[in-house]
Amino acid sequence: MLKVLLKKQMAEVFKSYFYDAKKNKMRSKGAIAAWFVFFFVIMVGMLGGMFTFLSQSMCGGLVQVGMGWLYFLLLSGIAIVLGAFGSVFNTYSGLYLAKDNDLLLSLPIPTRTIMAARLLNVYLLGAMYSATAMLPALIVYWVTAGVTAARVICGILLLLIVTVIVLLLSCVLGWAVARISLHLKNKSFVTVLIALLFIGAYYFFYFKAADLIRDLIANAAVYGEQIKGAAYGLYLFGRIGEGDWLAAGIFLAVNAALFALVWGVMSRSFLRIATSTGAVKKVRYVEKSAKQKSAFSALLGKEFGRFTSSANYMLNCGLGVLLIPAVGVLLLIKGREVFGVIDVFLAVRPGASAVLLCAVVCLLSSMANTVTPSVSLEGKSLWIPQSLPIPPKTVLRAKASVQLILTAVPMLFAGICAALVVDTSPGIKILMCVMPPVYAAFSAMFGSFLGVRMPLLNWTNELAPIKQGGAVAIALFSGWGIAFILGGLYLLIGYKIGAAAYLLIWTVLFAAAALLLLRWLDTRGSRLFAEL
Amino acid sequence: MLKIEHLTKTYGEKKAVDDLSLHIQMGEIFGFIGHNGAGKSTTLKCAVGILQFDAGTITIGGKDIRVDPLACKQELAYIPDNPDLYDFMSGIKYLNFIADIFAIPAAVRQERIRKYADLFELTADLAQPISAYSHGMKQKLAVIAAWLHDPKLIIMDEPFVGLDPKASHLLKEMMRQHCDRGGAIFFSTHVLEVAEKLCDKVAIIKQGRLVKVGTMEEVKGDDSLEEVFLELEAE
Repeated sequence: MLKVLLKKQMAEVFKSYFYDAKKNKMRSKGAIAAWFVFFFVIMVGMLGGMFTFLSQSMCGGLVQVGMGWLYFLLLSGIAIVLGAFGSVFNTYSGLYLAKDNDLLLSLPIPTRTIMAARLLNVYLLGAMYSATAMLPALIVYWVTAGVTAARVICGILLLLIVTVIVLLLSCVLGWAVARISLHLKNKSFVTVLIALLFIGAYYFFYFKAADLIRDLIANAAVYGEQIKGAAYGLYLFGRIGEGDWLAAGIFLAVNAALFALVWGVMSRSFLRIATSTGAVKKVRYVEKSAKQKSAFSALLGKEFGRFTSSANYMLNCGLGVLLIPAVGVLLLIKGREVFGVIDVFLAVRPGASAVLLCAVVCLLSSMANTVTPSVSLEGKSLWIPQSLPIPPKTVLRAKASVQLILTAVPMLFAGICAALVVDTSPGIKILMCVMPPVYAAFSAMFGSFLGVRMPLLNWTNELAPIKQGGAVAIALFSGWGIAFILGGLYLLIGYKIGAAAYLLIWTVLFAAAALLLLRWLDTRGSRLFAEL
Repeated sequence: MLKIEHLTKTYGEKKAVDDLSLHIQMGEIFGFIGHNGAGKSTTLKCAVGILQFDAGTITIGGKDIRVDPLACKQELAYIPDNPDLYDFMSGIKYLNFIADIFAIPAAVRQERIRKYADLFELTADLAQPISAYSHGMKQKLAVIAAWLHDPKLIIMDEPFVGLDPKASHLLKEMMRQHCDRGGAIFFSTHVLEVAEKLCDKVAIIKQGRLVKVGTMEEVKGDDSLEEVFLELEAE
């Protein structure tokens, strides 16, 4: 039973790898293999490569002074944060909000089996993320310190313990979010607020991490003694990786006990939370005079309503909306200082600061992508826009407009902030203000294009179109790619024509591409949408 | 009002609808019956303009659904077999959304919402999010939304599923009144007793092909509709 349920869960997660929604048929073996290679390259090549580099830079020094345990403590900590951060909201929505909860609960399947299958899914996804940090850490250690049976077996046990800790944290946090959500009216906004606090803390530690690690390594002996004295448990935890059987045994036992406790607490409330409609306070309808709106305004309002109704949607697709103006404010405070240094460092590339700033703003805007999953989010309600007398192009334009409104204004703001702090000509300053909103227009059109070309309409959990669709991944990575090309190309050859001409060319290119994509959306895109 | 001529729709290799022709006149309640997977929903979706079809023509009020879909949709309303509405909206927001799309003046929409919501005893729940509605409440909301712009043609797929007896009775009355005012209704149903009592004309579809069509008397003669249907199914 558990195997069947888990197979169903995993099939849903990797659905877009096997199934071509556009052609409404299974992908060929070659296409499936290509998608998995792509996934493998991202996970192992990018994330794994990053952690291999980090492990190599730390391992040698710490092992030499007999502080291998500190190395494992640090890397395990990073793996736990990475895994838990990625799966807190997976737990909440995957466990409690899955649309097929009612169906499964109506079948002769024990509730604990449904919960186990859901948690196993959370476990595997969390393990996948934490393993991208832990596996390189273990391999680098074995290469540096040498391979013994104890080190290998205990190392594997450490990986297991870390993944279970990730599951425990995800469960506790996901359960807490679910409990809070039950008692809230504006749960989407509160959930977003909680998540933003997490993200704020995450980035705070992330930016501080380099300094902290450097400091830790430089004073490893002092801190090591302090940790051993004040938090012996942490020392013992790090010792597992070094091949300490006793430490491994203790943490396995503690992990098992904690898991039993968390399982007990969650299973007692699972049915109640999963089947609850939450704190929907009965609001009595009071007739108010309605205001007639145009069809476009109605569609725009509907799209904004969809965006603000879902914490998942806001968090995964709207984070950039807050980050972009935050960076603008940061620039006003610290910009002159930072760009003074960059200008000296890149003195042979005049105007680089202006171009790099534009590239950073474009990079951040890839974290604000409401439009790409928007078509997929229509899901089973797609019949509504399709049966109403509205041209498909109006529907698509409304979807693109939401992103444009959400990103163009913050990007203009960030552009103005950047122009204020960079010491450059008025022409470049104007372009710094113009280019980001033009890029926002291009990004909205490109996102719409991907959304129409690669829709994912048959989902049971809204996270599927929001996070797991191929269109969303392509939009994100191409946003990064464009930002890197914009900045990198200038440093390579662009500086030869000067920042003004360079930014002007990109602005014109983005504007032209946006217009071409708009034309496509109005014609072929509209036809495709009507036929979905 | 609705003219379907030689409609053919295939899904891959399978012919879901095969050379089907129907003509629904103004003032008619036209029932569409057939076994599961016979092609009823596909036909209805093609008529509404949701599904593209391979051959044939569909005209609504003389306008071709493929040539002028917006003009056709302006004159019709559609209720699908499963009322998957916008769960994130409240009932009243959904009705106002539909009213905005059809450019219904504020005063008119308010009067109609009041009238139909009161009839279906949904007024008190209009401020609630649709996600908190039961299946029947969603179906009632879908019916109100369909009647809101006073369409000439109403196309419904299994409209009585999920409705309580009172709401079902009300819907039947509304259907009759709509057609008495000169409108037309084309709906599918598995409830043959309802079709027999309510419909002016009926069509029976089997494996995508029309097997019988005509006035209720022409189709059933002295038998019951159920007997005729089962007989045709057995052939």
